[in-house]
Amino acid sequence: MIAEALRAFVYPGIAYMVALALLLEWLDRKIVARLQNRVGPYYAGPHGLLQPLADLIKLLAKEDVVPLGADGILFTLSPIAAFVVVTVAAAFVPLASTSGLVSAEGDAVAVLALITIYLLLVYTAGAASPSRYSQVGAVRAAHMLLGFEIPLMLSCLGVLASAGSFRLSELAARGSVRVFGLHAVGFAIFLIAAQAELERLPFDIPEAEQEIVSGWLVEYSSWRLALFRLARDIELLLLSGLAVTLFLGGPVGPSPPGAEPLLYPLYFIAKAALIVFLFSLVRASTARIRLDQFVTFCWRYLVPTSFAYFALAVLVA
Amino acid sequence: MGLYLPVGPQHPIHPEATLIKLKVEGEHVVDADIDASFVHRGIEKALERKTYVQGLFLAERICGICNVAHTTCYTLNVEGLAGIEVPQRALWLRLIVEELARVSSHLLWLGLLAHVVGFESLFMLAFRDREVVLDLMEEITGGRVTSGYNVIGGVRRDIDAATAYKIKSSLAKLKERVVKYRRLLEEDPIVRARTVGVGYLSPSEARELLAVGPVARASGIAYDIRVNDPYLVHEEVPFNPVVYDTCDAWGRAMVRVGEILESIEMIVYALDHAPSGEIRARVPPIFRPPPGENVTRVEAPRGELLHYVRSDGSEKPYRYKVRTPTLANLPAAISMLKSRGDRVVHIADVPVIFGSIDPCICCTARVLVVNEKGAAKEFQLDELAAKRWAR
Amino acid sequence: MALVFDVITNLFRKRATVLYPEERKEEPGTFRGVLGFERSLCIGCGLCWRVCPASAIEASRDEKGARPVFHLDRCIYCYLCVEVCPRKAIKASSRRAPAVEDKRKLEVS
Repeated sequence: MIAEALRAFVYPGIAYMVALALLLEWLDRKIVARLQNRVGPYYAGPHGLLQPLADLIKLLAKEDVVPLGADGILFTLSPIAAFVVVTVAAAFVPLASTSGLVSAEGDAVAVLALITIYLLLVYTAGAASPSRYSQVGAVRAAHMLLGFEIPLMLSCLGVLASAGSFRLSELAARGSVRVFGLHAVGFAIFLIAAQAELERLPFDIPEAEQEIVSGWLVEYSSWRLALFRLARDIELLLLSGLAVTLFLGGPVGPSPPGAEPLLYPLYFIAKAALIVFLFSLVRASTARIRLDQFVTFCWRYLVPTSFAYFALAVLVA
Repeated sequence: MGLYLPVGPQHPIHPEATLIKLKVEGEHVVDADIDASFVHRGIEKALERKTYVQGLFLAERICGICNVAHTTCYTLNVEGLAGIEVPQRALWLRLIVEELARVSSHLLWLGLLAHVVGFESLFMLAFRDREVVLDLMEEITGGRVTSGYNVIGGVRRDIDAATAYKIKSSLAKLKERVVKYRRLLEEDPIVRARTVGVGYLSPSEARELLAVGPVARASGIAYDIRVNDPYLVHEEVPFNPVVYDTCDAWGRAMVRVGEILESIEMIVYALDHAPSGEIRARVPPIFRPPPGENVTRVEAPRGELLHYVRSDGSEKPYRYKVRTPTLANLPAAISMLKSRGDRVVHIADVPVIFGSIDPCICCTARVLVVNEKGAAKEFQLDELAAKRWAR
Repeated sequence: MALVFDVITNLFRKRATVLYPEERKEEPGTFRGVLGFERSLCIGCGLCWRVCPASAIEASRDEKGARPVFHLDRCIYCYLCVEVCPRKAIKASSRRAPAVEDKRKLEVS
């Protein structure tokens, strides 16, 4: 019983997930800062390692404001639900060993469904705020969903179809790397769609600071904002973990027998760090595109390519 | 129909207090208006209570970024009024520092452009490179931002050979980077997608709405005070005004980046060719110019800057009037912000368009005419001229 | 995407940030910094407080006559007083004004 509780809440459960997510956020901030010739997080912990945690604690200490005219229930539920949804989704992803915290036949589909639900929560979060910027941001988020959701799903399904299994843990256990040949296309599509899902540059359209302040997030403060930011970090972990599982062979790597429990988490972190580095590189070398340009780009290039990729992957498998 | 979306007076793209009132339908902007009358600082009135020498330092603080343009304009204006003869070398040094300030201002604007299109890295790099210019400013003038360099009768400090060498070597490095940024603006697909065709201002409109500076020059109007009405030693320093006829935000970016390169050339030329001699004529701290009036125009980084002074023979100006370039460009900005025909303006274009005029509201809000609601968008030449001389 | 190679080279470059309180940039020494005042040279002519555009100089009286008090919190470092002083009693420096909690610490007399 205690062992199970420890497994669920500490390692490789929620505490480990949160720590890993904050580590990836730190990595992202640090890499982007270095790419921009800056220092990045510096003061909290060695090399600013604790900065994301410090930011969260600071947010928790802030005054909790529910703006007048907000939909109180949705305004409170959205951040909680967003956090729960991404955490549950991340529980399926093998983070520390070849098996996720939870594992079932077809869990890959469940993860994809949860990712979509997260985006719906983003919409409700924006729609629950009275601010006009939130409304515009929420509508933008919904528009974005039209563009990138199909490529995101199809690039995952292509891999799953060619592997012949819909169980993430099984894919991770096989440890086969799929970034060459046909799957290079799927990998590229997945990375692009994942950045749109994460609302990272160049696709941070729903919360474009220079246009609509913070978009759907603008009215949130205190623990609500902290939860959203934590959810964002776990989502980064989730999507990079998904990329690692689907395309980079999961946490599997060369290891002397018996050392797997020690080495596999490290392999996972290294591979996830590689994905985060790619994300950071894109963030540091692009400008934001416009909503109409994004949707056009998706439907003109990304969606047809992903359909072709999926069809070929099914045919080859 | 349509949602009213306020941009400002507090907004991430322009921390200065100005309100852009947008009427949007979905992502499209159908109507726009600008209210820039939040910070009336009363500088013109304050200038009437300062002696001519003291007023210089207030004029310098009208705008932080183009402070050198303001002091150049103020000193030339008062010197013209009082008939003070300025040594030749001082004029050359003023030109050097003015062009250096232009480089600094345009680099800041390049960062602003990068910021409004969401280009974090270019923003950081542009500000990093601006530091080179600020260090040079500190070395030459003694102040990083408010230079306090131009004084009535000349300039404060001379540039010796060692400093000149340092300026040249720093600027050579800066030039390489700016050339790189120009190539980036020309080639980067996302920057092009965000700026090409955005904020269209046809040449006839630019003329009609009295656009000045880079905004006019990007609409194909070769209007540059340095050429049309040279005020320092511009006849002797070769330079080519940068003119583009793309009429959009991209053209304005290219004009400004091109001007950085031109300014660097001008500084290097001026350092090599400035005559030696006195740098400052002796002017008493309190003097009384004869009654009369004077107008001076200067090409500030943002466009034409106009100072007007009237003297009643006392030691303080009877009236001092400033017209800053952003005021002249606001009507053009309002016109650009509205969707017309096929030219749809998206919400995402608003910061790009407003940023492309290089807004500097703190200079502008001091001008009374903007306060008159509704008048701001329909300025005609004679109307504006009438307002300009009205008080 | 034209910036990719530039940002990657930045990885191997020294950071541009100055970690301010711990390290400081080398200053050229030409900065117009806080004013110093050599009281023994002052003849109390009053030019400095008459010329100051920010009213940062006030006259105070002691046994020798009127003497200036410099309020550096109001000073805009225009250096008009340094230029105008007939006995060069007001001294220039390139020292930056310190941050203080009590304004009276910024008085020079």
